[in-house]
Amino acid sequence: MNILEVTDLCKTYITNKYQNNVLTNVNFSVAEGEMIAVMGPSGSGKSTLLYAVSGMDSITAGEVSFCGKNIADMNSKELAQLRLDEMGFIFQQMYMLKNLTIMDNIILPACQSKKIDESRKETVRRGQDLMRKLGIIEIANNDINEVSGGQLQRACICRSMINKPKMIFADEPTGALNRTSSEEVMEELTKLNTEDTTIMLVTHDVKVAAKCTRVLYIVDGNIKEEYNLGKYTSQTQLKERTRTLNNWLIEMGW
Amino acid sequence: MYRSILKKDLKRKKTMNMILFIFIILAAMFVASSVNNLASVVTALDSYFDKADIPDQWITVPNETEHEKFTEFADQKGYDCKTLEMITIDPNDILHNGEKLGYDSTICISSLKNSTRVFDKNDREITEVKDGEIYLTALIFYNKKYDLEVGDTITISLNGKTKEFTLKGCTKDACFGSGMIGMTRMLVSENDFDYFSGEDATMMYSEYVYTDDADFMDEFNHAEISSLFNADRSMMNMTYIMDMLIAAVILVVSMCLILISMLILRFTINFTMSEEFREIGVMKAIGIEVRRIRGIYITKYFATSVVGSAIGFALSIPFGKMLLRNVSKNIIIGSTGGIWLNLVCAAATAAVVVLFCYLCTRKIKKFSPIDAIRNGENGERYTRKGVVHLSRSRISPVFFMAVNDILSGLKRFAAMIIIFTLGLLLITIPENTINTMQSDNTIYWFNMTECDHVLSTELLFDQSSSRKKLEDRLVSVKNYLAENDIEADVFQEAMFRMNISHNDKKTTSVAFQGIGDVTADQYMYEEGGAPQNAGEVAITGLIAEQIDVNIGDDVEIKNGESTKTYTVCGLYQSMTNMGEGIRFYQDEDLDYNYVGSAFGMQIRYKDAPDGKTLSERKAMLAEHYPDWTAYTAGEYIRYMVGDVSGQLDSVKLMIIIVVLSINILVMVLMVKSFLTKEKGEIATLKAIGFRTGSLVAWQTIRIAIVLLISAVLASALSTPLSHLIVGPIFRMMGAQSIEFEIRPLKIFLLYPLLIFSVTTLSGMLTALQLRKIKASETSNIE
Repeated sequence: MNILEVTDLCKTYITNKYQNNVLTNVNFSVAEGEMIAVMGPSGSGKSTLLYAVSGMDSITAGEVSFCGKNIADMNSKELAQLRLDEMGFIFQQMYMLKNLTIMDNIILPACQSKKIDESRKETVRRGQDLMRKLGIIEIANNDINEVSGGQLQRACICRSMINKPKMIFADEPTGALNRTSSEEVMEELTKLNTEDTTIMLVTHDVKVAAKCTRVLYIVDGNIKEEYNLGKYTSQTQLKERTRTLNNWLIEMGW
Repeated sequence: MYRSILKKDLKRKKTMNMILFIFIILAAMFVASSVNNLASVVTALDSYFDKADIPDQWITVPNETEHEKFTEFADQKGYDCKTLEMITIDPNDILHNGEKLGYDSTICISSLKNSTRVFDKNDREITEVKDGEIYLTALIFYNKKYDLEVGDTITISLNGKTKEFTLKGCTKDACFGSGMIGMTRMLVSENDFDYFSGEDATMMYSEYVYTDDADFMDEFNHAEISSLFNADRSMMNMTYIMDMLIAAVILVVSMCLILISMLILRFTINFTMSEEFREIGVMKAIGIEVRRIRGIYITKYFATSVVGSAIGFALSIPFGKMLLRNVSKNIIIGSTGGIWLNLVCAAATAAVVVLFCYLCTRKIKKFSPIDAIRNGENGERYTRKGVVHLSRSRISPVFFMAVNDILSGLKRFAAMIIIFTLGLLLITIPENTINTMQSDNTIYWFNMTECDHVLSTELLFDQSSSRKKLEDRLVSVKNYLAENDIEADVFQEAMFRMNISHNDKKTTSVAFQGIGDVTADQYMYEEGGAPQNAGEVAITGLIAEQIDVNIGDDVEIKNGESTKTYTVCGLYQSMTNMGEGIRFYQDEDLDYNYVGSAFGMQIRYKDAPDGKTLSERKAMLAEHYPDWTAYTAGEYIRYMVGDVSGQLDSVKLMIIIVVLSINILVMVLMVKSFLTKEKGEIATLKAIGFRTGSLVAWQTIRIAIVLLISAVLASALSTPLSHLIVGPIFRMMGAQSIEFEIRPLKIFLLYPLLIFSVTTLSGMLTALQLRKIKASETSNIE
């Protein structure tokens, strides 16, 4: 069953009286439990696509159906509710509130949401479980500038997971990390996916994309082609998946 | 290249640059107008007295005999003096457009001959009064009670002669313009004055003495001349204390405005500079010299401050005038420093901005490029940011974030707290002063004792006055009340001017004796007790100090022709005649041929009536005694000291408007700068599912908390600061210990609520702008 269906999606910006068609008639769907990567050259519209389908940005035309509901018909309150309860977000810049500790940042969406009926103590316990799972429990009470980039990105993953979302959107989640941190973060995202969380991510990294089930290649605001990699199950497959994907990307003009 | 960096900066950071620009305008305007007002107010009275040619000594004698004695005394001693002739008018004989004017204190007419200089409302000297024209002092003219307008008809009758005058305007009359002098005058032409003068007229003579002889008063006291009133220049200065009270309020407002300006500037520059750190880091990283980097920002702030200060300077002139408008109705407040002072202050503001900028950019030297890129933080910190924890609390995340932001960045919010606290204090301190002055308890400070009503009329005393005559009047009022089944004590204060001496020290003072149903022990005493026998007196602290006596000492007091020895049994405080006063035992045998005047007849009901009954009785008295005016105790005091509290009321209204405007402006600009600075956090919160409403609530709750802290601080500081700031003014007037009348509902609830709601609302409306920040902007945050 598809969790996300995108039909004839268009996004146009007007800059200095010039019309800039960033996305033109984009069509694709994401099945539940899938992990999908969006790749393409810089300025091709990857991030715009991610924000448009996640309801973070308005669309110019077309339809985006999330769990059967067209998000283009939703008002800002409904969109906020949807993002809070059903979606999780991870950004390249690991943006967190600087006046809150890591733990407080993580549990913030849960405290704001009424999706899960639980006490603050139980929320904290879930936050701790997530942090433990991602190996960052020791930084729970740290300020955000006391931890490394990799730890912070994992904290962002915890935050995106706290409300048990149906789908996680990640915009270059490893873009600002070194290789080791990047691998750790991807490891966590893959693990989440194996636990049936649908993930859609934008990346420039072939190794990251190689861990996804499917890759959409976008050029000039439209999906040129897609490549089905199948489910990633073990580390041993990675080399081969990366090589195959790389070849395909070269074919695409990468 | 630097030009292009600057140009880009001004364009890209439009909001923050605009906020800084507006704050510089505000600061320059406040500083320039306030410093000029400070200078003007501080020197106002001296310069006014110089302009008006006020004498060094002013003696008012009651009749021609005393005038001749004075002239002989002055000739003998070689004093330079002139005499202003005045005719006392019964206030009941003054009609305004055919109806009784309703003034009921000592009033006289005089011409400009030998007068001190008087000025019109525009501060121009009045050099001529035409026949048939009349001028009234600002004290009467602006009193709403009389509803006077230029062109009205004033009719004066005296000893069978009647003349109609056209009201030409009001005067700023230094000698007769203060309510505390207790005597005012109407200015007519010399011909009109001559028309009324004659054998039947009750004459008074104002002897103006221009001398620097320090022993003048001693000489005068030894000359045994009866006077109605005497004052030296400093005493006259003091009679304007009520006007100065208003000026003092403006002074405090001005000082607070300067403080607010500096706080605003510091906050804004620190705030905008912290925005620049990332760019500074990049410039340092690519090898641009620190000197050049600082140059860019100092140039930017210099240009902004010069243009902003120029606009602030232009606005400071009308703003300063608006602040002074309420003080200058009765006195001339010239602009001491003139436009130049405004200009210097505006330039100083620009210099302060550049200095703040220079100090802020000093940090650049210490930072490594990466420190600067990290927004000026080098990673070393000794205190944690998160003081409270969401995980350990039960409050909603929105409320938590608001509280946590304040606790994590107290320094950032301190400027706001101080500004709003000062604003609220600017309202509550004048309010406390007004309430204290309007309170019925003030009656004790004016040589009177507690009563419910005062029936007031001007009495013309002469050589045939006697205690019996006064007592008969009291009895008639008492009988009238008894006929209406109202039991009351009816009494009155008879007032004399007497010489009092101890050893070789001598002075003159106003003296009081309560007549009717009153005893000396019903008044308030600071030390010792009431005179309980003939031969005992209580005196004010000021008189005790002047003649160096204490309780138990004997003093010589001259009443008319006889001098008697009295024992000082108590000390009290008084605001009558700037703190001078002698109180006699109620049955002391005094010579009433020398009584100077009397306060109104005081009525104290024995059945403790409620407010409604009191109002009914007041109306009944007014109806039965149409020639007299019925007052409550508080109203009577207000009438005696002039409508200062009324003026203070209008000053207070102006302050409320100024404070609210400042608060709204500061709030709008600060919230705007917060939104600019927190754009990233807002976008992130939106991205993770926070609604716009919740985020507006976050910003609003934060403001509300700041305002709440300010309200609590202002409420706590209001009373002690009232004592600290206004107390000395009351002390100068003779009241050594003042219990301020605090109206909790207004001070602790109404005003804080007003400031709180208006400022919070303005903050909330500004915070609504965060609607424009999109969740997708998270990826575009620098």
